[in-house]
Amino acid sequence: MTEPLVKVDSVSTHYPLGRSVFGKPTVLKAVDQVSLRIARGSFFGLVGESGSGKTTLGRAILRAAPITGGSVRYDDGEVNYDIGTLDKTALRDYRKRAQLIFQDPYAALSPRMTVRDIIAEPLEVMGLTSGREETDQRVREIAAKCRLNLEHLRRFPHAFSGGQRQRISIARALVCSPKFVVADEAVAALDVSIQADILNLLKSLQRDLDLTFLFISHDLSVVAHVCDHVAVMYHGRIMEQAPTRQLFENPQHDYTKSLLSAIPSLDPDEPLRAQVYTPSA
Amino acid sequence: MTGSLISVRDLTVCFHTDEGLVTSVDGISFDIAPGEVLGLVGESGSGKSVTAKSLMQLNADNAVYGEGSSISFTPGNETIDVLALRRPQDMKVIRGGAISMIFQEPMASFAPAITIGDQMVEQLLLHTDMTKRQARKLSIEMLDRVGIKDPDKRVDQYAFELSGGMRQRAMIAMALSTKPKLLIADEPTTALDVTIQAQVIELMKDLVAEFGMGILFITHDLGVIAQTADRVSVMYLGRILESGPVRDVIRHPAHAYTQGLINALPKLDDLDAPLTPIPGDIPSPLERPNGCVFHPRNPKLKPGSRYETEVPPMTEVAPGHFAALFPEDVPARP
Repeated sequence: MTEPLVKVDSVSTHYPLGRSVFGKPTVLKAVDQVSLRIARGSFFGLVGESGSGKTTLGRAILRAAPITGGSVRYDDGEVNYDIGTLDKTALRDYRKRAQLIFQDPYAALSPRMTVRDIIAEPLEVMGLTSGREETDQRVREIAAKCRLNLEHLRRFPHAFSGGQRQRISIARALVCSPKFVVADEAVAALDVSIQADILNLLKSLQRDLDLTFLFISHDLSVVAHVCDHVAVMYHGRIMEQAPTRQLFENPQHDYTKSLLSAIPSLDPDEPLRAQVYTPSA
Repeated sequence: MTGSLISVRDLTVCFHTDEGLVTSVDGISFDIAPGEVLGLVGESGSGKSVTAKSLMQLNADNAVYGEGSSISFTPGNETIDVLALRRPQDMKVIRGGAISMIFQEPMASFAPAITIGDQMVEQLLLHTDMTKRQARKLSIEMLDRVGIKDPDKRVDQYAFELSGGMRQRAMIAMALSTKPKLLIADEPTTALDVTIQAQVIELMKDLVAEFGMGILFITHDLGVIAQTADRVSVMYLGRILESGPVRDVIRHPAHAYTQGLINALPKLDDLDAPLTPIPGDIPSPLERPNGCVFHPRNPKLKPGSRYETEVPPMTEVAPGHFAALFPEDVPARP
C-alpha cells in the first residue's frame, strides 16, 4: 500500500476558556486525540452533528485552526511536511497544495469582483503565473472543467444561482492545482435537485485531476453515496471509521447506529425508530 | 368541500419590488381537514413560506393578493374570510389564536432578553382570558408535555440557556398552549441535527394524535414528509405540480418534477444507485417560464410541446392524487 497523503496522529485542538476561581484553566476540547489516515486519491468522509468538531479538524489539517497536540503529516510524493511546525515558506507552498471549499456559496464570493477575478485571485496572490495571459488561460481551463460558460467570467456573482455559485467556488479552490481539498459541507446549502449535480461534479473532478478529498458533512446519505471511507465524529472524538459500505451495512458503534436510525425513510410504512445514544461514562 | 378546517382557493401572491412585480405564489388551492397533516414540499423560491404566511396575513407590506384568491378558515361554527381581515383586533384570532406557527430557526424566534416563561405567559394573556397564575401553570405543563425535564426551572430561563432541540420543543409548547385549530410548521426540523429531528417528528406525531389539530407541514425534505404527512403537495415556482396521499405520491410520482426530486435524493438502501440531478437551475422569479413552470428543466419533453405555452390542468391520476399534466400524459400504472 502506498503512503497515505494525510496522516493525522492523536491530534487535539483545545481552546482555553479562561480560568476558574481556583486558577485551574478550563479548556474546550474541540478536537481530542483524533487519528486518521487519508489515502491518496480517496474521497474521505467525515460525518458528525453540529459541535462534533468536524470543521475544526478539517481546518486543523489545513492549519487554519491551531494544533495543540499530536501531529499532522502531509506527503504527496513531492514534499513531506509536518503541518504543525511549517515555516513561512513551506506553509505558503502547502497552501497551494491543500485547499478548502466553503459551505455557503452566497457568503464565500465577493460581490464586488467578477467571476474571472474571483477565480484568478489565488493565482495572483500566490504569484503562481508569469503574467496575465497565463492567468487567463488557467482560469478558462478550470472554469471549463467546472462546467462554467466563458461568458460567465465577466459577470458578478449576484447573477448566479446557488448551484452555479458553488461551481465558481470549486473553480477558485482548484485553480492552483491542489492535491488535497477539504470540502466543508459543500452541498449543505443547496437544494436537492442541484445537490446531486455538484456531488457528481466533485466526483468527476476527483478522477480527472487526481485529487484527494476530505468531505465534511452532517448528511449521512450524501456521505454514503460519494465517499469510499467514512469517519464518524462525536464530541471531538472519532467514534468509528471504516470503508463506507462496511460502515453502513454493519455499523459497530452505538452512536453510528443511532445516527443511522434517525434518518427518516422515504417509505411511509417504515416508521422512524430512532435509537437514542447515551455515551457511557 | 365540507368539513375542511381551512380551504385555500386560487391563492395568488405577488410582491412589488424595484425590479417589478414578482409572482411568488400562482393560483394554488388546497384543503386541510381537522386532524390532518398536509405536507408542502418544495425547493427554495417555490413559494411555500409565502403560502404559509398568507394564511395568517403575515406577508410583508409590498405583497398583493390576487383578485380571485380566497382563504376560508373554519375553526368553529363560523367561517372566517382570512384575506378580508383588516383590523389588528380581528387578526388576533388568526395570529397565534386559532392558528399558530412554528418557525425554522428556534433561536431567532424567541426574544433573547425575556425568559421563555414570560413569553409563553404573554401570548396566553393575549389570546385567552386566563389569569397570570393560570397561564404560568399551563406553560409549565406544556413544557413538561413536550418532554422538557425540570419544566418549573426551565420556564425561568432564557433561550440561550436551552439547546437547539430544547428550544424547538419550547417553541412547539408555546405554539400549542393556546390550543390552535391549525398549526403551521415552517421547516421546523431543518436547523436541527438528525437525532434531534427524529425526536421532534415523534413529538409532533404524538401531539396531533392528542390535540387533533390540522397541520400544514412545510419542508424541503421528502423523507420528513414521508414520516409525518397524510397528504402531500409538491410546489415549484409558486405552483402546485402534484398532490395526493403521501404513499401514492412517493411510490407512484406522476409529474416529472416529483420523479426528479426523488431520483436526486441519495438513498441509504442502495449505495450504488447514481444520483440523477434535475438538469438546469431554478429560474429567477423575475423570469418565470410560460406554460408549465417546470418545462425548461423537464428532460422528457420534446421541443415545441404543449407544456411550453399552455398551463396543464390538475388531472386526477389515481383516487385523490392529482398532477399538473394534460390527460394524455398521465403515466400508466404497472
